[in-house]
Amino acid sequence: MKLFRPVFGAAVLVACLDRAALATTQNVIFNGTITATCALVVATNGTMTVSPDLQSLSSHNSGGSAGTVTLTTTGGVSLSVDPVTTTTVPAADSTATTWTPTYSASGAHTIAETGSATALTVPGADLVAVNLAGTKGGSNRFASGNYQATVTLRCE
Amino acid sequence: MRLFRTLAAALAAGLISVAAAAQSMSPMRGEVNSFTDAFAIRVFPANPYDQKIKVEIHVYDQDFQPVDARISPSVFQLASQASRPVLVVVPFGGAVERKVRICTESIPFPNQQTQIRAQICGKFFAHRKP
Repeated sequence: MKLFRPVFGAAVLVACLDRAALATTQNVIFNGTITATCALVVATNGTMTVSPDLQSLSSHNSGGSAGTVTLTTTGGVSLSVDPVTTTTVPAADSTATTWTPTYSASGAHTIAETGSATALTVPGADLVAVNLAGTKGGSNRFASGNYQATVTLRCE
Repeated sequence: MRLFRTLAAALAAGLISVAAAAQSMSPMRGEVNSFTDAFAIRVFPANPYDQKIKVEIHVYDQDFQPVDARISPSVFQLASQASRPVLVVVPFGGAVERKVRICTESIPFPNQQTQIRAQICGKFFAHRKP
C-alpha cells in the first residue's frame, strides 16, 4: 500500500504527459461586397479660344485647353457627356452656335475622343480630358465678349 | 406618418444602404421592394475634394426626365472629404415597378469659361408589392 500511491500517481502522470494538449482551431470568415462605384474629381476646367475665321470657339484651338477629370471606378459603369444646355454669351452674339462636348480617357481605359457613352468594364483610374467646341455656320461669327458653357460629365 | 410607413416598408424589404467614404455617391445600384405607394432610398454623396462644394441631388427617370420625388436635402454644402445621407422618396405613380436614376451633381470650380459638372448617377429599381 505504501508503494501503491507513488506508483499510481506516476502512472497517471505519465499517462497525462503522453497526451498533447488538445488545440482547437476555428476559422473566422470575412465577407465584403463592393457594388459598382464611380468617383469623378474635376482637376481643371477647360479654356476655349477662337479660330482665326471666328467660326470656331473651341478647347481644341491654339491656346485652348481641355478640362481634366480623374475617374476612379470598380468597373460596371458607363461614362458619357450631356449635350450643352447652359451657356452664357455676350449680348453682341445673336446667332446660333452648335456646341459639341467630347471626352477622351487614358489610364485603365483607353477611350478615343468621343461624344457617345462608353462602358467601363474593368476597375481602375483614368484621366479624362473633356473638350468643348462651339461652331457657327454660314456667315455667322463669334463676337467679342465673355463666353461660358457647362459640360456635364456623367458616370452611372 | 406616411413617410415613416414608407421608410419602414423599405427597410423591412431589405434596403439597407451602407455609407462608404471617398466616393462621390454610394450606392450606385439598388433594388427596392415597397408595400406602400412610394419607395425610399438613402444615398450617401461624398466630397472627394479638398474644398467645400455645393452638391445637388436630382431624380430622373429612364429617359432623364425629372421625377417628382421628395429629396431631403436636395441642395447642400458638403465639407471636404465629407459624406452625408440623403433620403429620396419616390412615388410609384400607379405603376407596379419603377426605374429611377438618383444623381449627385456638383460644379466644383464655378465661374470659369468652360465649367465641368460632375454627375454621378445611381440606378435603382423599385417593385410595388401588393
